[in-house]
Amino acid sequence: MIMNKIIITISFAAMLLAQWFVPGQMIYKQEEVIREGVAYKFRTQPLDPSDPFRGKYIYLNYEVDKAFTKDTTINYNDMYVYIAKDSAGFAIATHASKTLDKSGQDYVKVRSHGIYNDTVRFNLPFNVYYMDENKAYDAEVVVRQARRDTLINNCYGLVYIKEGRSVLADVFVDDISIKDYVEEIQK
Amino acid sequence: MSSKLKKDISELLRAEVITPQIASDISTYYQSKKPGATSTNTLLVIFGILGSLLVGLGVILILAHNWDAFSRPVKTLFSFVPLIIGQLFAALALFRKKTVVWREASATFLFFAIGASISLISQVYNVPGSMQDFLLAWILLGTPLIYLLRSHAAAILFLLFSTIYACNVGYFNDASPWYYIALLAVIGPFYFQQIKTNATNAMTALYHGLVPLSILIVMGGFITSGFTGFVLYVTLFGLFYNIGKLSFLNHLSDRKNGYVLLGSLGTIITLLFTTFSWVWDDFDSMRGQDQDVILAVSLAIMTITAIVYSHFRQNSKDYSWMRYAFVLFGIIFFLAPVASEGPKILTNLLVLALGIDIVRKGAQAEKFSLLNYGMLIITSLIACRFFDMDISFVLRGLLFVLMGVGFFIANYLMYRKQQKLIPNDHE
Repeated sequence: MIMNKIIITISFAAMLLAQWFVPGQMIYKQEEVIREGVAYKFRTQPLDPSDPFRGKYIYLNYEVDKAFTKDTTINYNDMYVYIAKDSAGFAIATHASKTLDKSGQDYVKVRSHGIYNDTVRFNLPFNVYYMDENKAYDAEVVVRQARRDTLINNCYGLVYIKEGRSVLADVFVDDISIKDYVEEIQK
Repeated sequence: MSSKLKKDISELLRAEVITPQIASDISTYYQSKKPGATSTNTLLVIFGILGSLLVGLGVILILAHNWDAFSRPVKTLFSFVPLIIGQLFAALALFRKKTVVWREASATFLFFAIGASISLISQVYNVPGSMQDFLLAWILLGTPLIYLLRSHAAAILFLLFSTIYACNVGYFNDASPWYYIALLAVIGPFYFQQIKTNATNAMTALYHGLVPLSILIVMGGFITSGFTGFVLYVTLFGLFYNIGKLSFLNHLSDRKNGYVLLGSLGTIITLLFTTFSWVWDDFDSMRGQDQDVILAVSLAIMTITAIVYSHFRQNSKDYSWMRYAFVLFGIIFFLAPVASEGPKILTNLLVLALGIDIVRKGAQAEKFSLLNYGMLIITSLIACRFFDMDISFVLRGLLFVLMGVGFFIANYLMYRKQQKLIPNDHE
């Protein structure tokens, strides 16, 4: 009877810990990337879908969607895309490989979407940005409008990358956080 | 004592069928049978669960608003609030020996709090993780609630979310939900314990319905090609039916035995599909993949094991056609490439035989439900043939009239038979 009670108590404590551990280590990993990772600006364009549990988000369509490669076997497989900065400070994909090379260059793991003449296509993984439900749709409209008017051409996602792990920290329009940008326009 | 019983007793008193003494004896008997203080009103439990369910879902929706007025650390902290509240209630329910309502309601709330907490963190850090990983983590973190709090609500939520998870993997992505099998194994011990301790309980009967239903829904996620699907489904329904005929389930009424119910209805409906000629016309172009064949063979082995066990270990004398329909259909299926017209005719005959067999069983056991179910099968088969056969309207009409008359006669004959067996005091 006492033994039973001890087992139940220990199991219950283990359950509580596990329920803390999973979200806890999610936070730890993401914070680590933000703290120690390198920040890149990825040019992008947002769209506005919705998730039943996590709410409204904008889907980011990045301009970086292809890379040079010599390896034809990476078609529709997981691969590594290497990231660098161009002269204007925006992120570019230099090349892609099936196995990780030892150059030390920052990389992200993606799935290839087909290869054509030394160029492989892919979608960057950090393409979801959660927003206040009242702002998500406006964000999409604002950016679409602005793009059409060519008033702005610098909408970008600020992404921290460390050892292949990435965190999308914010999305900027004209160097203003999209949350504040939309708020200004909504006023 | 229920109000219906009270009403009945006073009616019988008024009609002087029973004496006041007998009336009070009956009342005392039912009073003494009244369950003890430990068991709680079922209705209260259900409302407790529903309440927690709504609050839990509400919390998720409120968090989904994405409060970007708050900073990242504040939002991160917030994500743990529902979790802490849920865990506190669960701890109280477990260690303070609270009632069933407490256990069920706190388990339900904590289950949703886990989901809310993971989603909020995904939101704060824009984690692009797939829906399936999110669901799997959620389900696994909620699993201990089933065993520690002995919560039926947690078990049902587990089954529901496992099914959603498996559908997400199997139908919306190009993969097979193998983890679903592991999830079933996780809930297995709880299910078997219910069968052992509460065999005739309504709650256990609910599991007998939900478990096969979940498997049936998920099954399509494992199938990689079109046509072998028919064999797989017929075999799965055969498995359900034969599991339902094992002694630990067979004593239940048909209403409480979800395996027999789903197995029988599923077999008939699937087989009715295969009686159409268009199904067999496209046969060659749709061949089974390796995975489908392995799945069909394993299902068949499990079903045959259930049959053998039932006949030889449990001495079952039930040799109804429904138990072996999957074998006969398997043979017809493998005959299909060599005989072009064969399969169509044979599946028609098979459904007809099943219908007749059920009518026969219904007549023997004097069960109206079974008798009419069998006749309904035969009627459906005939009705289906009207779609792909060129028969004149007069003939069709006559056939329907005949079927209707058949229903009347069969039911009337059975009614007469039953009347004869009841000793008649009036004569």
